[in-house]
Amino acid sequence: MKRPGLFNEELLYECYQCARCTGSCPAAFAVDGFNPRNILLTYLRLGIEAVITDEKLWCCTTCHVCEDRCPQLIDVADLLCSLMNEAAMQGHIPEKVRASAEMILRTGRALLVSRRVDSIREKLGLKPLPEVPMEEVEGILDQTGMAVLIG
Amino acid sequence: MAKKGKADRQDKVARRATAENGPRIGVYVCHCGLNIDGSLDCEEVAKYASSLEGVVLAKDSMYTCSDAGQEQIKSDIREHNLNRVVVASCTPRLHEPTFRAACVEAGLNAYLFEMANIREHCSWVHLHDRQGATEKAKDLVKMSVARARLLQPQVETEVPITPRALVVGGGVAGIQAALDLADAGYKVYLVEKEASIGGRMAQIDKTFPTMDCSICILAPKMSEVGRHPNIELMTLSEVESVDGYIGNFHVRVKKKPRYVTDDCTYCGDCIKDCPQHMPNEFDCGLSTRRAIYSPFAQAVPATYLIDMDSCMNKHGIVACDRCYQACQHKCIDFSQQEEILDLDVGTIIVCTGSDVYDPTPLTELGYRRFPNVITSLEFERLINAGGPTGGNLIRPSDKTVPKSVGFLQCIGSRSKRSNPYCSNICCMNTIKDALLIREHWPDTKIYVFYMDIRAFGKGFEDLLMRARREGVVFIRGIPGEILQDDNSYSLKLIGENTLLSKLYEYEVDMVILSVGIEPRKDSAVVKRLLSLPSMADGFFMEAHPKLRPVDTPTGGIFLAGCAEGPKDIKDSVTQASAAASRANILMAKGKVTVEAITARIDPERCTGCGLCARVCPYGAILVDEETKVATVVEAACTGCGACCPECNFGAITMRHFEDHQILAQIDALAESDAGGKILAFCCNWCSYAGADFSGVSRIQYPAEVRIVRTMCSGRVDPKFVEYAFAKGIAAVLVSGCHIGDCHYINANSQTEKRVQRLWRKMARLGLNKERLRLAWISAAEGMRFSQEISALKEIVEKITPEEIEKGIEAFAPKRLPKGEHPDEATRPV
Ligand SMILES: Cc1cc2nc3c(=O)[nH]c(=O)nc-3n(C[C@H](O)[C@H](O)[C@H](O)COP(=O)(O)OP(=O)(O)OC[C@H]3O[C@@H](n4cnc5c(N)ncnc54)[C@H](O)[C@@H]3O)c2cc1C
Ligand code: SF4
Ligand code: SF4
Ligand code: SF4
Ligand code: SF4
Repeated sequence: MKRPGLFNEELLYECYQCARCTGSCPAAFAVDGFNPRNILLTYLRLGIEAVITDEKLWCCTTCHVCEDRCPQLIDVADLLCSLMNEAAMQGHIPEKVRASAEMILRTGRALLVSRRVDSIREKLGLKPLPEVPMEEVEGILDQTGMAVLIG
Repeated sequence: MAKKGKADRQDKVARRATAENGPRIGVYVCHCGLNIDGSLDCEEVAKYASSLEGVVLAKDSMYTCSDAGQEQIKSDIREHNLNRVVVASCTPRLHEPTFRAACVEAGLNAYLFEMANIREHCSWVHLHDRQGATEKAKDLVKMSVARARLLQPQVETEVPITPRALVVGGGVAGIQAALDLADAGYKVYLVEKEASIGGRMAQIDKTFPTMDCSICILAPKMSEVGRHPNIELMTLSEVESVDGYIGNFHVRVKKKPRYVTDDCTYCGDCIKDCPQHMPNEFDCGLSTRRAIYSPFAQAVPATYLIDMDSCMNKHGIVACDRCYQACQHKCIDFSQQEEILDLDVGTIIVCTGSDVYDPTPLTELGYRRFPNVITSLEFERLINAGGPTGGNLIRPSDKTVPKSVGFLQCIGSRSKRSNPYCSNICCMNTIKDALLIREHWPDTKIYVFYMDIRAFGKGFEDLLMRARREGVVFIRGIPGEILQDDNSYSLKLIGENTLLSKLYEYEVDMVILSVGIEPRKDSAVVKRLLSLPSMADGFFMEAHPKLRPVDTPTGGIFLAGCAEGPKDIKDSVTQASAAASRANILMAKGKVTVEAITARIDPERCTGCGLCARVCPYGAILVDEETKVATVVEAACTGCGACCPECNFGAITMRHFEDHQILAQIDALAESDAGGKILAFCCNWCSYAGADFSGVSRIQYPAEVRIVRTMCSGRVDPKFVEYAFAKGIAAVLVSGCHIGDCHYINANSQTEKRVQRLWRKMARLGLNKERLRLAWISAAEGMRFSQEISALKEIVEKITPEEIEKGIEAFAPKRLPKGEHPDEATRPV
């Protein structure tokens, strides 16, 4: 699992705050105040506490556009991922994230599949969603420790 | 080379003179105030020195380098008939020339002087180990005395310098260098690849920081080149080959035909009828030209030319003769052929300039996809009165004047996705461009998106402040991407203003990408032709970044302008004048002395195999195919010694760094307690200087190490290392400049190969490979040097007597090539 300690911090110090990451980030434009450049800087200057307690961290969609465009080849998305992991380990999980995680624990899916979904699929000529192999899902959640984290 | 015969004769005379008396060595141990005597016992070292074989007197003194100290040495040489002098004091990089001069004044050949570095390499780095430092100093003196016994007098040769210069590249740097040298009275050949001289400066409109019209200040210089009696201008020409060495280069130039004779009056009648239209390169393809054309109005030489790639006439078949018919002076000549010109020159100045970065790979910026995204060089052509639009800034999409523009900084610079360095000129160029737009179209909204504005030069900050005052908006934060409105072709810039931590969206009519500067695409060719080293970024490397900024490591070849690194016009011209002056110094002197440390090849032993020639970074070894004998071109040889270990027949002698002299140093250090000692080979320019720097910085490290200096790590013969192990020395460090920084272009790549070969051999023989270490240490890495020694000390502590014994057996003298037997090696003269 990606954890902040495992991240090559030296590389982060090469960030010169050009803001191409934030300027490219779809989440930053959707959510006021989510700002990958700022998260990186806050992490470096104010420490990990300051970033993992801020729920906005979780807005990253892990699309990796920021990484594609970073002129310094900094793994911005990887950094955000590892910070989210660390936040979760320390129990800083936003309610909405926890809710969808619990949903996965229960149903194997992040969202509730309503009858409406089925009818839309039918109209589009798609087959109904298959059954979730819950045993397998539980196995994965156990092994990754997610069950405990949410539990 | 004219003096070689004479030099050889003098050499022999000198050799005889010293051989007759046997070595009579004087040793001087310097206290350097308390710098040395404070942490080791100089008196004891001097006493010890007097007991060494060949030493007739040994003294310690307060300051050996003082006038009194030098006088003492001089009078001792005369009085005691000394024929060798050893001074144990500071680094030879500091005072070797001082003491050599003193010896010469007293009639002793400079090469019979030797130094032991007991300050930087001893007293300063073992401040708290008086015993260890004193023992080490004794060892260092013993090694120097052993070497001194075997030193030979040397005579430096003189090489004549041809008083003619070649300048490659006719940008502003090449123009300046050529004019300076021509004014000084030298014949100058100026070779320019394009149809006209002028370079980038001819393309740009105004110049920062003064906002002068670029071509107005350049054109007079260009015409001066064209008519200067001492300058032979060759356009459409490229260097094909370069042979020779400092002062004596033979250069072959290929000159492409113009198909228009020198009688051309530049009337332009010919072009109107030419049916072939091509993109005009000079205008970055923003306009067209005919097949017969002149790149720009002020071109020098002021004659038209035919681009045969676009002309309808091919392979000598004339399908169209409209230009021929139009020309009243009958200057069109389709029969012109390519010419090869042979030049003999003494010095060469490389001014090949730079290319600009092509931002196409940065797809998020839409260059080439969106017509209104242009580069700063294209902008220069658009705003130039002599350009395709007559100086009207218009959008390529609809030919309207943009009401708003955005400049994006650092495009292709300061980035691991393109070029890592700052391109130096683009910040100021943008400020200049912004002000130009303000001047002509004051209502235009101008945004500059930047990370840092670098306005470091004289007058730069003033210009920046003027732009701010005049309403140019500076926004910190480079857009993440550019989007185009497909109807209006306007552009949307999205990004973050980092100073406000707020996202922005700006709509502008035009975007100018402030592209960086990069090495010429064909710079590898020039690099190969002239054996020039380059930096990791591809720009040519200077001999020393501070003290020899326009010299290249190859004697007689100099650099100026953007070929050396991104810079503005002022710096290019400054460098050009500096390079011209350096070349002038050589040519005015008319001759150059070559330090007598060059390689010599014994024709009796040489089999002409050519292995040495293959590793010589300077191409200084020539193998005669008929006689099967290799010879060293003394003026081209720099004395790196990379060739010497390559010879399987012991045919190469490195003067002043001879095999037996180095083996004698190893013998001396191995005489006592070899199993506890570290032998370090350090190259003169980097790792030895790095060790000096440890001393200057008082970085402490274990006293077990003894340094042997070679000019280059490429001199370190694997047999030296084997000999050291055969003598029971615990560990060996081979060190040199970092790969890519070698003072001798790439001689250290041989070092690497040889050490790897040794490691494989040690593994085969069951020896602990850790006993041999390879390290690249720059002159600034004093800490690194001390770390390497500390690491080796740890290894030495772990080595068992059995392991040492195993090494002794594995590399026992019987394995040494004939003629290198230690007894023979250390036999005094
Ligand atoms: C867009 C832009 C704007 C600029 N604006 C300014 C400014 O306002 N003020 C300022 O001070 N500086 C400015 N500069 C920088 C300025 O252009 C350079 O400092 C200057 O041109 C460097 O001169 P040079 O002679 O070293 O190289 P160049 O001008 O590049 O000339 C090199 C010459 O060598 C020739 N050549 C190349 N290879 C070979 C070869 N193998 N054989 C023979 N000939 C060869 C080329 O054809 C060319 O003529 C600007 C640069 C750019 C790109
Ligand atoms: S794009 Fe890269 S260098 Fe620029 S601010 Fe983001 S992380 Fe830093
Ligand atoms: S990976 Fe995350 S931070 Fe990076 S651009 Fe995508 S959403 Fe934004
Ligand atoms: S000069 Fe300015 S724009 Fe150019 S690379 Fe350097 S900082 Fe960037
Ligand atoms: S390899 Fe070095 S020492 Fe040998 S000939 Fe070439 S420059 Fe001279």
